[in-house]
Amino acid sequence: MATQRISIDPITRLEGHGKIEIFLDQDGDVADAFLQIPELRGFERFCVGRPAEDMPNLTSRICGVCPEAHHMASTKALDALFHVEPPPTAKKLREMFYSIFVATDHTTHFYALAGPDFVMGPDAPVEQRNILGIIKKVGMEIAGKVLKMRKDGHHLIELIGGRAVHPNWGVPGGVSRGINEEQRREIEERGREAIEFAKFSIQLFNDIVLGNKGYVDLITSDGFTHRTYNMGTVDANNRVNFYDGVIRIVGPDGKEHVKYRSKDYREYIAEHVETWSYLKFPYLKKIGWKGFVDGEDSGLYKATPLSRLNAADGMATPLAQGEYRRMYETLGGKPVNHTLATHWARLIEMLYATERWVELARDPEITGREYRVLPTQKPDEGVGCVEAPRGTLTHHYWTDERGILTRVNLIVGTTNNNAPINLSVKQAAKTLIRRGEVVTEGLLNRVEMAFRAYDPCMACATHYLPGEMPLTVVIRSADGYTLHRLTRSAPATVQSGHQR
Amino acid sequence: MSTRPTTSQRPSRQGSDRLLVLGLGNPLLGDDSVGLRVVRDLCPKCDAWPNVSLAEDYWGGLRLMERLVGFERAVIVDAICSGGVPGTVRVLSPDAIPTQHSSSAHDVNLQTALALGRQAGAQLPTTENIRLVAIEAADVLTFCQECTPSVQGAIEQAADTVLAILQTWR
Repeated sequence: MATQRISIDPITRLEGHGKIEIFLDQDGDVADAFLQIPELRGFERFCVGRPAEDMPNLTSRICGVCPEAHHMASTKALDALFHVEPPPTAKKLREMFYSIFVATDHTTHFYALAGPDFVMGPDAPVEQRNILGIIKKVGMEIAGKVLKMRKDGHHLIELIGGRAVHPNWGVPGGVSRGINEEQRREIEERGREAIEFAKFSIQLFNDIVLGNKGYVDLITSDGFTHRTYNMGTVDANNRVNFYDGVIRIVGPDGKEHVKYRSKDYREYIAEHVETWSYLKFPYLKKIGWKGFVDGEDSGLYKATPLSRLNAADGMATPLAQGEYRRMYETLGGKPVNHTLATHWARLIEMLYATERWVELARDPEITGREYRVLPTQKPDEGVGCVEAPRGTLTHHYWTDERGILTRVNLIVGTTNNNAPINLSVKQAAKTLIRRGEVVTEGLLNRVEMAFRAYDPCMACATHYLPGEMPLTVVIRSADGYTLHRLTRSAPATVQSGHQR
Repeated sequence: MSTRPTTSQRPSRQGSDRLLVLGLGNPLLGDDSVGLRVVRDLCPKCDAWPNVSLAEDYWGGLRLMERLVGFERAVIVDAICSGGVPGTVRVLSPDAIPTQHSSSAHDVNLQTALALGRQAGAQLPTTENIRLVAIEAADVLTFCQECTPSVQGAIEQAADTVLAILQTWR
């Protein structure tokens, strides 16, 4: 039985954090669950009237987490806008830069956010479930390895992109500078070390997670499984690519639903609006919006590391391909619909990114001096797309013939996953709430684990994000009264009450 | 005394500098930029201070910790959204409530990051030698390049607060 409709207050500045509302039906079972995070406002209005060339720098400041992804999608949108094809050296430099970024970003997510759930265990006290807990359990040397990987990644991003935080490098038709042989050697050398680090990380996952039946059962449990469509960028051989290719979407059964060029995204993707959320809910246009439900008949899709692996036929580098095969063999074939397997997929992507980084560093063209073609045509409209760590990222610009922006549309990685995240939260909640009995112990973490797998980056939308985000879960009865309010501060506190 | 470029040039650490004043924020997000503005306001005022680096950044968590490596003491200037009166200036320690950027939702909070760095052997300021100067913000969710009037009006007070902290460390 559906619950009565409850109007949900938007998150106030004072609260300033995410809120999950769980609605019970009259039998006391979960009817609905929603994650709400505030969205930044006025970006399009801010951009209109500015020169399009400003966008790689402006958009990289939307987000403090993946500025490189915005920078790259924006730069590619400018290529399209000015109708200019970058030379091979520029494309390779961009992809190498981007591979370094993805490898570094995935490192941080695994060790700081995902790892603690598995290494320490999902039921470990919150004060132990962090990267310090991992170090205590696995060994001191991990701290140095993780920090070195991050340091090398940031150093090379600065070396190639010119600045450590917000790169100022991508330009329409190429990049603003190339690399010399000495720099190339350093990039290759660091890349080889990064491959070893990625192998070490996968071994850690094998030993601790896959070696524990309880964890494997958790990954494959119903509470963390749903069957949606999967999106990812693939190369000409249908292998995962972060920088360029075509968008491929496969169904919950693994069969190809559609393949399209990113510039045509609006023919395939539509956006649903809910009154209670600032963020839109993209879905597959041809399947249609059927609500927060999974299955072949629902247009919901995911765009995550696991989705990218599901949407592809394999990985383009040898070590990652071996791990790709092993994951699907272990988890029962393609596609894998278990949300928590996203962490494993992220590590396989990390390995691929490091291998690709070295491959490109060894490419004879990488030190070429032709790294830019000057645009000569009038700009009008352009779409640029990359695989951000958190999902497919699309930038779409319209300008007048002087190149002044008249309209801007962005679909950020996490927005793709907005509806599936809510679905995951609801499923996780269902496992701990039955017939009015609410298992408050562990509820916050189980619900958080459900969306932590997506590493939602609402930084494009807000500063308050999961992980260290203060989080409130409100459980309401069918008549709208608050039954429980759980707040994630360490340790989690539980208050019961009866308030509207 | 070290040479002090304008902060918009992202100054790097001078070899002899022991003190860091780091403004955190997003220059495009209204009151969120206040930490950057305070540091820019401090540029001419810090000319007489030896061994002080002024810098801007955006990141919390691990990246913020990595930024502090090598310094003996640090003042971090940042916006905060705690429900107080916009423009209120407070001095916090890293183990108090997080400001806008001193925590990171994508990795760890500053306390954890500092502990991790120390375990890895990084030379970091002790917790007592890190101060957060927090300016209560009114709007950090709307793209614009100005602060709200009450927050703009607090910049000088925040800068004076930083100078007072530096004075005690002299």
